[in-house]
Amino acid sequence: MSLLLDPTAERSPTVRPRLPRPEKLDGLTVGILDISKPRGDVFLDRIDERLSERGITVKRYMKPTMARPAPLPLRQQIGTEVNLVIEGLAD
Amino acid sequence: MYRGTDLPSDGLIAVVKRDCPTCVLTAPVLGDFVQRTGLAVYTQDDPDFPETVPGRIDDTMLDVSHRLRIEIVPTLIRMRGGQEMDRTYGWDRAEWERVSGLTAIGPDLPMSRPGCGAKNIEPGIIEKLKIRHGETGLASRRIELGGGEDEIEAMFDRGWSDGLPLVPPTEERVLRMLSGTARDPQEVIGLCPPDLVPATVEKIAINAVMAGCKPEYLPVVLAAVEAVLDEPFAMHGVLATTMYVGPVVVVNGAVRRQIGMNAKGNALGQGNRANATIGRALQLVIRNIGGGRPQEVDRATLGNPGKYTYCFAEDEEGSSWEPLSVERGLPQGKSAVTVFAGYGLQGVVDQKSRDPESLSRSFATSLMAVQNVKLAPACDVMIVVCPEHERTFRTAGWSKQRFLTRLHELCEISGEELISGAKGIAEGGPDTLAGKMVKKFRPGGILIVRAGGGAGMFSGIIGGWAASGARGSSPVTKEVKT
Amino acid sequence: MADLESRGIPSVGVATTEFIDAAAVQAKSLGIDPAYVFIPHPVQDRTDDELRALADVHFDSIIALLLKGNQ
Repeated sequence: MSLLLDPTAERSPTVRPRLPRPEKLDGLTVGILDISKPRGDVFLDRIDERLSERGITVKRYMKPTMARPAPLPLRQQIGTEVNLVIEGLAD
Repeated sequence: MYRGTDLPSDGLIAVVKRDCPTCVLTAPVLGDFVQRTGLAVYTQDDPDFPETVPGRIDDTMLDVSHRLRIEIVPTLIRMRGGQEMDRTYGWDRAEWERVSGLTAIGPDLPMSRPGCGAKNIEPGIIEKLKIRHGETGLASRRIELGGGEDEIEAMFDRGWSDGLPLVPPTEERVLRMLSGTARDPQEVIGLCPPDLVPATVEKIAINAVMAGCKPEYLPVVLAAVEAVLDEPFAMHGVLATTMYVGPVVVVNGAVRRQIGMNAKGNALGQGNRANATIGRALQLVIRNIGGGRPQEVDRATLGNPGKYTYCFAEDEEGSSWEPLSVERGLPQGKSAVTVFAGYGLQGVVDQKSRDPESLSRSFATSLMAVQNVKLAPACDVMIVVCPEHERTFRTAGWSKQRFLTRLHELCEISGEELISGAKGIAEGGPDTLAGKMVKKFRPGGILIVRAGGGAGMFSGIIGGWAASGARGSSPVTKEVKT
Repeated sequence: MADLESRGIPSVGVATTEFIDAAAVQAKSLGIDPAYVFIPHPVQDRTDDELRALADVHFDSIIALLLKGNQ
């Protein structure tokens, strides 16, 4: 465990800040990443339907196995194809 | 006076180390003291030293030495009622007799011998002791990284980096960095844009650590920060402009050689730690303390590679011209930095001119292209004259001032050439320019520095910011203070 | 999720309440503060209709964590 001195003006929290979020979803593409846990797809399908009803573009992705992190090519692909990601369903 | 219970509150204390010949010399005296009056001996390096004192106390952790603020060994201290009454260091018979109250000690020893530096104040050790004793005096927030975090990745993720890996700013490294200056860590050097945050010596030192600076570079970094935060430099504008510029740092005076800066071959290139890290530290200060980041307040269209780091030393030795800092009003020999809002490098290749007039024309013609041949007046420029070009002026007896005057004369353009549409180029000025002569550079808008390798007739032009001078950024020179 | 955020993609995770502790441990270890919406455990034995109803109930909070003002 390391202790570092903050080089900044200390205006943000010590944990990594989350990325800035957009004002609204219009015009953006939302990725849904299914981490391959059983039954998660039913939940995510419904989220997909609700987004699509609002005219939001949705792209679906699936991890090959829930036991491992998503492979690099998949992460790179998601990173270039969508603006936001919803990931699930972990338990 | 001293915390803890392991220090005797009355009697004599000695602190020694085997590595010190004077301590070895006094070992018999210490043994004699044990017999005659009692004595607590703390040993800094070897728990078996001195053999003359069976009850010697191991202080290889140096905590007692640190609490006693030992600077020289041997040190002899007399305590009474928990208070220090007296101390002496090194070996001096009269002093030891005075402090101990004994007489006829060490009859076989010389009268006196100087002591040695104590182990607890050695660099690398004093910092650890200050951290252990809670005496760092560092005010900055501590960031505790998670056990699963890689330090280098964590710093990238927190947005502290310019894109290259950083050195982790641990308490120990920051303390060591601060040893490079006598200035108070909480002294405010200036208000750092864009957020106008007070840039303290401590915060600057943290960023200098991350940039990879040695402690001895810190005074130069501090001077550079002071210079860019000075109002005439207009750091906020330099940061926020869509144009290419960032601070270019030129170092003059003795400090250049003391810290091993490069003013010779590849002076503007890679490979010298001081050149590279001082310029980088300045950029990290703006990024982390001021909050100035690309695509946020930094609106640069292209930027330039010098925004990672742009710092070099002037090659003063062997030059017939006064250094930039002297030209700008500081006494000869004073260490100084000059900051200039600049970008990139445009070559001035001339391998044929053997007289200063021809060479001046070469420079002037090249200078016409700065920003655009159709634009005048243009931004300020810094000309980096290589030694072989400077020699041409030197042998002809041309001072820097004479060269400058000639350049300003030659950098004059007839208004017709500048009018929008002239030369088939829409860029340009109004028709009213017709019949006028226009200066390419404002008075004082050309800076000259000598740097580079001994071989090669290749000088360079560092372009400036379109908003040069009072309406934008002016070069600023500051003395380097230790 | 941390990886996607480092690629510039704001992300929100959906997990069951069983995952709260694990998420907290992971967040502390990695020094991050991921956005999560937790739904009641378990999910495996729920009918499709129940799962869709759960999605409807939590839809707004999932979207809220992707938008400004909820960081």
